[in-house]
Amino acid sequence: MASKEQRRIAVTGIGLVTPVGNSTEETWSALKAGKSGAGQIASFDASGFSTTIGAEVKGFDREKAVPDKKLLKFASRSHAFALAAAAEALADAGVAPRPEDSHRWGLTVGAGMMSVAYDDLKVIHDYATDENGYFDADGMLNPDFPGNPVNFCRWQSNAGLGLLTKQFGIRGYATSVHTACASGGQAIGSALKAMRRGQCDRMLAGGFDSMLNPIGISGFCLLGALSTDNENPTGASRPFDKSRNGFVLGEGAGFLVLEDWEKAKERGANIYAELAGDGNSLSAYRITDSPPDGNGPIQAIQQALGDAGVSVDEIDYINAHGTSTQMNDRSECAAMKAVFPDRIHDSVRVSSTKSSMGHLIAAAGAVEAAVCCLAIRDSVAPINANHGEFDPDCDVNLVLGEAKPGRIRAALSNSLGFGGSNSSLVFRNPEEVSA
Amino acid sequence: MKNASEKIVFTGSGIVCGAGANVNDIWNVLESGETAVGPYTQWDGENWPVKVAAEVKENNRTLVPDRKLHKTISRTDMFGIYAAEQAIENSGILAQRDALPEDKQGGFNDRTGLIVGSGGGCYQSNYDYLPLITEAKGELHDFGKELSNQVTPMWLLKNLPNNVLCHVGIRGQLKGTNACITNQCASGIMAVAESASAIWNGEADRIVAAGHDSPFEPEMVYYYHKLGLMSDEAPKPFDKERSGTVFGEGAASVVLEKEEEAKARGAEILGEFLGFGCCSEATGVLDLSPDGDGVQRAIEQALDDAELSPSDIGMICAHGNGTPASDLTESIGIREVFGEAIPPVTGFKWAYGHLIGASGIADLVMTLEALKREMLPGIGTLAKVDSAMGDFPVSSSSTKPASQNALVICRGFGGMNVVLAVRV
Repeated sequence: MASKEQRRIAVTGIGLVTPVGNSTEETWSALKAGKSGAGQIASFDASGFSTTIGAEVKGFDREKAVPDKKLLKFASRSHAFALAAAAEALADAGVAPRPEDSHRWGLTVGAGMMSVAYDDLKVIHDYATDENGYFDADGMLNPDFPGNPVNFCRWQSNAGLGLLTKQFGIRGYATSVHTACASGGQAIGSALKAMRRGQCDRMLAGGFDSMLNPIGISGFCLLGALSTDNENPTGASRPFDKSRNGFVLGEGAGFLVLEDWEKAKERGANIYAELAGDGNSLSAYRITDSPPDGNGPIQAIQQALGDAGVSVDEIDYINAHGTSTQMNDRSECAAMKAVFPDRIHDSVRVSSTKSSMGHLIAAAGAVEAAVCCLAIRDSVAPINANHGEFDPDCDVNLVLGEAKPGRIRAALSNSLGFGGSNSSLVFRNPEEVSA
Repeated sequence: MKNASEKIVFTGSGIVCGAGANVNDIWNVLESGETAVGPYTQWDGENWPVKVAAEVKENNRTLVPDRKLHKTISRTDMFGIYAAEQAIENSGILAQRDALPEDKQGGFNDRTGLIVGSGGGCYQSNYDYLPLITEAKGELHDFGKELSNQVTPMWLLKNLPNNVLCHVGIRGQLKGTNACITNQCASGIMAVAESASAIWNGEADRIVAAGHDSPFEPEMVYYYHKLGLMSDEAPKPFDKERSGTVFGEGAASVVLEKEEEAKARGAEILGEFLGFGCCSEATGVLDLSPDGDGVQRAIEQALDDAELSPSDIGMICAHGNGTPASDLTESIGIREVFGEAIPPVTGFKWAYGHLIGASGIADLVMTLEALKREMLPGIGTLAKVDSAMGDFPVSSSSTKPASQNALVICRGFGGMNVVLAVRV
């Protein structure tokens, strides 16, 4: 695939809203310092749940972030994050759709599950259940039933896509994907492919999610996937540590602006990195379990390297999926060791920034792709925080203690989802492109 | 988009909807002019403003015999798994794999992709929490405390939007490129477009594309009705008296592969993928551009991708959902491209309702059948074409396609328009 003449794609804009900062630079500074975004959940009463901690976005002003009042009315919490992050990315790139080229702009998003707001479900409960709480459809026909079509619209699977295309006037190819925790990575991979085949000249690509609400967190509590270190929220997410015991649920959004390389050069744009390769596989193993031997993630990483035309010797940083669950981290390490047998123990720097931000689910892959671009820009790998006890299965070259400086020729971002979808992306340092 | 040196063909299809659980049965409904839309049974609709839908009538275990699997999937997943596995079976790709020496089978699996368009989820899945709210007397603290006593630990797994991708992948060991598209109505048809693009891009040798949805549920009916989008009888696309759409439920699937490989293994070829167009009207979640802008551009992109001119097209399977605004703007967009030389147009939602996430891919499967039979079924519920659409070539009776090339149009929330160009 790499031998084929293909269009080169540049990353020229980044926007982030995360539990460690409501902008790109704020988030990036926190990740380099290994600052945790986790704490006791404050946005609702989580005191009765088995997990009471999460990594919430803090101090986010919806009204300020999304000036269009009508659009904001239709926006869920995660949609508002998305609109804000996308606006930052476009402003950063210094380019936006104009009427004459809006049809050549595209959008791909990794969107979260259609998680209903507890308050909306409470309304259904109060009007349309019997005395035992079982649903009774006719209750909705009560003339006082306050069900609101606007809330319904928020729930539609592509509502985020609809709001983003409208806000920024994007009239070309547009799609929305959901492969659980791999969504954000797959959305960026889909954008790369759409641009290479000439479908768009510029794209906004990213992900957004917020499951930090009673219904969202319930699903994970029931599965036992979350860390229950309720007394130690900032240390709960400890990817690759021997005592890791689940992930910390985060929320947020991340967007990249992608451009045809030549067009970006022509307008003198600042290029963070080349989005050089995408790999995408299905483990086809079990729904929540990861294959212990890394079969599945291995193919995704190899494909991404092959697609990018980057050798295993050129990867200087891996932003691991690293959720901090026993199985995921072991499976991912097995895959990294299989692909980089000679370099993974000492020369490739590896970190999971979920140690600071928590797990942003459908947004994770997009935010972490942005982290790879920033690491390349500043020649520094962010910290794998909270690592204490060594796990022999996870003996990779983790960035511990402090951010590790050093030039990065190419970086890899892994996203491995529930259901077995694996996404790997390769970013190349722009200096390596001209070289 | 297109890589002219390689032809991509369909070698298997599967479908289930209110009109039947295979292509033949559904074709017979389309040909008969008798809609499958009728009174629904999933809840008592007596007091409801909308009393009809096109429900799938097959028994759950007929569609997916594995009893254990039903514990971890929802209704929509059941349709998707059924349709995808029917398409896989018809295509013979797994039989081809199983005939390979064992050491070649892993490589085959890695080069076999699976792309699913999913409705994304159901409101009803959240009703599992309603008894818990009662138990907790509306207190969140008690809701959290009692959670694991009231709700199944499998709740999240049952409701993952990407369940069909997971289960079909595991059951068939399809390990190559994959995606789960959650783009409302456009989900299923985009799965087909992305599959063809991925094969052209060299990411896979063959891909199973599927779309599934079960939009028919109380909250969907309630809100669609409130928004003025629902009819209380079978939809009448392009009719002067059309008053809205009606939900169906179901799934459809096609297997795409390189023509060369399909021929080499002697597979039955159902048709060829020629190209596609996809664009947004940037009008927000619900609104439509009054000038048919997105329809026009998506058709033009598809023709361009397929290297066809408007006069090459022999039939159009329209989105035709039966709502006043969508049908009118769709006809305007079509006219912008074809002028006064519009090929025969039909649509199938009058027969099996609106399958939302599965609608476009179901229409594709039935369009391939129409091309094969050289017969374009009429719109059974059509009485008088809306004069606001000018001389628009839709009819209640069947006609012959003018050529072997067809367009399938799919529109959705978010201002989405997707058009496929195919031929037999």
